[in-house]
Amino acid sequence: MDKVNVLIIEDTPSESDALIKVLQTNNYNVVGVATSFKEALELFYHNAVDITIIDIFLNGNPDGISFAETISVSPNPSKPFVFLTSSTDRQIFERAKVTQPFSYLMKPFNELEILYALEMAVEKFYAQPNVFLSEEEDTIISAEYLFIKKGKSLKKVLITDIIYIEVEEKYCNIITEKEKFVILISLTKILKLLDDAMFCRTHRNYIVNTEKIIEIIPADNLIILSGNYKATLSDTYKDILKKIRTLK
Amino acid sequence: MIKIKWLLILMFSGYSLFSQDQFKSESFHLEIKKKAYEYKNNTFFYSATLYFIEKNWDSTLVHSMKQLNVSKKNRDLADYSHYYRGYSFDQKKLLKEAQKEFDLISPEFDFYFLVKKCLGEIALEQGQFKKAISYFEELTKLSDKHYFYLKKRNVLHNLGLCHLHLNQFKEAEPYLVKSVRLQEQQKDTLETIWAYGDIANLYYEQYKDDLAIPYFEKAYQLSKRTKDYKSKQNTALNMAIVEENRKDFKKALVYRKEYEKWKDSLNDQNKIWEVAQLEKQFAVKEKQKEVSLLQTENKAKIVERNGLFYSALILLFLLGTTIYFYKEKIKTNKIIVAQKEGLDDLNATKDKLFSIVSHDLRSSVNALKTSNTKLLDNLEAKNLEVLDGLLHNNSAIVNGAYNLLDNLLHWALLQTKQSYFEITSLRLFFIVEQVIYNYKPLMLDKNIAFESTVLKSDLVFADQESLKIILRNLLDNAIKFSEVNGSIKIYTQQTDEAYCDLVIEDSGIGMNETTRAGLLKESELLSKKENENSIGTGLGLQLCKSMIQKNKGKFSIESELGKGTKMIVSLLKKA
Repeated sequence: MDKVNVLIIEDTPSESDALIKVLQTNNYNVVGVATSFKEALELFYHNAVDITIIDIFLNGNPDGISFAETISVSPNPSKPFVFLTSSTDRQIFERAKVTQPFSYLMKPFNELEILYALEMAVEKFYAQPNVFLSEEEDTIISAEYLFIKKGKSLKKVLITDIIYIEVEEKYCNIITEKEKFVILISLTKILKLLDDAMFCRTHRNYIVNTEKIIEIIPADNLIILSGNYKATLSDTYKDILKKIRTLK
Repeated sequence: MIKIKWLLILMFSGYSLFSQDQFKSESFHLEIKKKAYEYKNNTFFYSATLYFIEKNWDSTLVHSMKQLNVSKKNRDLADYSHYYRGYSFDQKKLLKEAQKEFDLISPEFDFYFLVKKCLGEIALEQGQFKKAISYFEELTKLSDKHYFYLKKRNVLHNLGLCHLHLNQFKEAEPYLVKSVRLQEQQKDTLETIWAYGDIANLYYEQYKDDLAIPYFEKAYQLSKRTKDYKSKQNTALNMAIVEENRKDFKKALVYRKEYEKWKDSLNDQNKIWEVAQLEKQFAVKEKQKEVSLLQTENKAKIVERNGLFYSALILLFLLGTTIYFYKEKIKTNKIIVAQKEGLDDLNATKDKLFSIVSHDLRSSVNALKTSNTKLLDNLEAKNLEVLDGLLHNNSAIVNGAYNLLDNLLHWALLQTKQSYFEITSLRLFFIVEQVIYNYKPLMLDKNIAFESTVLKSDLVFADQESLKIILRNLLDNAIKFSEVNGSIKIYTQQTDEAYCDLVIEDSGIGMNETTRAGLLKESELLSKKENENSIGTGLGLQLCKSMIQKNKGKFSIESELGKGTKMIVSLLKKA
């Protein structure tokens, strides 16, 4: 599991310092602090940013909103963001709200509020509500990563690293080359959100990353995966043989 | 000389044509009245008869015509109607029309002899003497009972006249003589004069002066007894001509003069009559003028009246509009006055708020100042333990001041509606967690046992920031009014389908009923400071109430003096 990368756009050093302190305490990785619109764009496009915290007012101008608008318009690396503001001025909020999805953090903020705002931003951005806030689930699936709530903070796992997933009731065991861990997510949801060109269901309880398959032994109903992991192939799901590119 | 005589005769003949005598016609009227009663149902005939008797010829003509139009079957009535019409035309000197009407009458008509008489008279007047003679001669053969309705002497006279006109003096003489005799019996002076005149003319015409002159003289003598100027004048003229012919010019002159006198009188009479006529015409004209003047006046009056009416209408309309606008103005004024009162109240409240807030802030800053002085003193003395206590005290003071300022800011934003406000679905658990986070050190300080049993599944609909402000204030109060080693609990309860109750319960000093009621009162903005140490401006609670209201929630307090307080915020479960 990796740390989540956060970009801070904030022109007041004391504010950004406080933010950095809280984020680092909670195992977030701060990739940089931008103090202007230009710097922010530069940092945003040259780093693998997962979440951006944007102060609406930069040097007295609502450049934060302009930044949010810019990254929302360019479709490619659009990422979740949180607005940081010291007042609930209606006009500013109405303008900021145009950049959907909209999450915000009011100054002064405490640790819990920061973490809550970040989680909300991820939930809203990937349109998977009531995940981190509920007790039933703890994982949000984006195109690249799984965002998993671990304690107070968020972690991410690169989806292509997953070898297979073993479902156990409402838990899912995720097995990557380096580690194994359990997430809370329903099977239907994970099946819906994962790229089905890459992941295939081979058994009632197994979802396999087809790129990690080394050998399939239909006679034994067995799939050998990289890292010498084994998954079961049940009769119901033998159709995957047709889908997988094999040498002939 | 002869010419003059002829003129005289012509003049006389015109006058000596006698019409119906009063008495005779009355007997005829009685007859037709009987007839009219007989046909009483026939209104036209009845009214025609009545008009005939009244000698209203025009109306008679109209009604008899109507009668003829309505029914032509009754020969008897038709004859009567034709007779009325003929007679009326005759009286109006429309001789041809009259003749036509008379010709339409059937010979069976009861009074056909009257028709003949009339026809004879018409013929005589038209100069058809022979025709007239034939009519009149028929009449002479009638029995005496018929003469009850017409004068025999008139018939005879007329016959005589006809012959006279035809210069058949021999035939004329017996008729005229007979007529004169009958006339003398009747003693009708005027007619006798005419008769005398006619017979005198008869003789005179034949140059039988000896016979003529006595008649002229008789006529002249008789004329003196009448008041009729015409006959006086004629007899006098005749006498003058007679005397002239006898070459007795002196007498002739006397008669001439008399003739002139009567003529003048007649002329005078005529002149008077003409003058009267003129005057009448003048009067009529004057009247006409007056009438037209009155008419114009009337028109002017009508115009004036219409003008007045319309202007009154317009004025009324204007009045209505004015009243309407006046009322509107009064209404607006009332609203303005009400608004002004409201504004005055608000302004007073604001002023009060200002004074209390600034007083509070001043005390806080003052406390900080004194504390800082102490801090510096102790720093010099390196009395670290005291320093720690002082710093904690300072931070508490600053916290209080910050909360006050925060509330003030939100109050201002709420009043001016400048604040962002969006009701969304919120999980109470996280909100409570985030708010409590800031108060944990404070509670630790007072050694307050805190417990939150709010569930992650507790969902409410509210605006996040305002909910946080509400919670902050309630928690702040709970801590403020709790004794050391007290306890604070936050939990939810379901008492209403639509609402989720969030309860902040403390084991603090509580409050009495009056305070409780006062706090919940709508207008109670600031509670008076009773206890310098623990009672604030009341702004916090007021802000809470306003924000709960804005979130469409409800607020209530349960408290017991000395045992603690429950602040209950009811929030909507569904939007």
